Amino acid sequence: MSSSIERSFVQQLQENQNLIHKICRLYTNNEDAHKDLFQEITIQLWKAFPQFRGEAKFTTWAYRVALNTAITLYRKKTRTINTIEFDSKLHRFNQDEYNYEEEEHIKLLYQAVQQLNDIEKALVFMYLEDKDYTEIAQTLGISEVNARVKMNRIKGKLKTIINP
Amino acid sequence: MDELDKLKNHWKQNEPSFPQVSEKEIYGMLHKKSSSIVKWILVISILEFLLQVSLTVLLKDNTNTQSFNTPSIDYLTLPMTLIGYGIILYFVYVFYIRYKKITVTDNVKNLMQSILKTRKAVSTYIYVNLAYVVVSAIVIVFVMFKTDSRVLEAVHKSQEHGNALAFYLTAFLFIFVLVGIFILLVWLFYKLIYGFLLRRLHKNYEELKKLDF
Repeated sequence: MSSSIERSFVQQLQENQNLIHKICRLYTNNEDAHKDLFQEITIQLWKAFPQFRGEAKFTTWAYRVALNTAITLYRKKTRTINTIEFDSKLHRFNQDEYNYEEEEHIKLLYQAVQQLNDIEKALVFMYLEDKDYTEIAQTLGISEVNARVKMNRIKGKLKTIINP
Repeated sequence: MDELDKLKNHWKQNEPSFPQVSEKEIYGMLHKKSSSIVKWILVISILEFLLQVSLTVLLKDNTNTQSFNTPSIDYLTLPMTLIGYGIILYFVYVFYIRYKKITVTDNVKNLMQSILKTRKAVSTYIYVNLAYVVVSAIVIVFVMFKTDSRVLEAVHKSQEHGNALAFYLTAFLFIFVLVGIFILLVWLFYKLIYGFLLRRLHKNYEELKKLDF
């Protein structure tokens, strides 16, 4: 028997699960770890759900909890298996829209992002998700100016990783 | 257009296709146990408190029932026991208050700070307890040399044989080594458990602090 709160939670999570998957993809490097982190984020979201009053959008609320879980609460397992297979599966491109060269470049960029540290990954994730600097700064608990400075440094770092 | 903006364009236009988790699977996950570091800190901390409480009770029982069964030393054991329980109550309270402040909806920096502060409450408790053990050991040794008939007899014998100094030195060295080994074991235990558990959190927290100069 599931309560209406449980049903509402499961439904919203199911509809917005791509957000969680994207964070899992950023913070793990194999399918098992991805599933493991997805489960931990789900548990943390469910535990925090009674405090979610619907003032913010479910996704806005969920990505903060998900990021916090990935960066702070999740204990990384040391297993690293089938990394390449998993990456290539997720970095698949629509052949009609992209040429080979661009595809390779984007692949390199994704790989470069994977090499960043946990905090840098969080900044990049929020940037890619079109969050403004005010929200990025608030989510991380740093000043807006420092968020901008760090983002510029990350851009430089990515460039160096790609063109050493 | 810089590299990150290229990636952003791609990110927006090419929503990756992840294998979708069904509602049934999500229901299943809700009843699974969390393996977050906060849960581990809570479990380990409760075990630590329990261990320390049983040690305090054991120490108290031994002190009262064995060698020092005299009302004359109540003036020492009673305040020591009260201080011991006072320390436990105070730290359990501090730990509880700090633990309640850990919220996963907080910002990343505050969440890390709350976890580290909660952890610190327990480590401070352990250090205070180590100090308490050392002070207790000194008091017990002092009382033993004053009241315990077997020790007094041994002291008396050593004095008769003219090697009282050697006797005292051996006794103190023995106690010193014993307390030293105890502290070393506790310290090693902490380095291992928390070094493993909090290494990543410490690293990320330092990174954030560096960011917010």
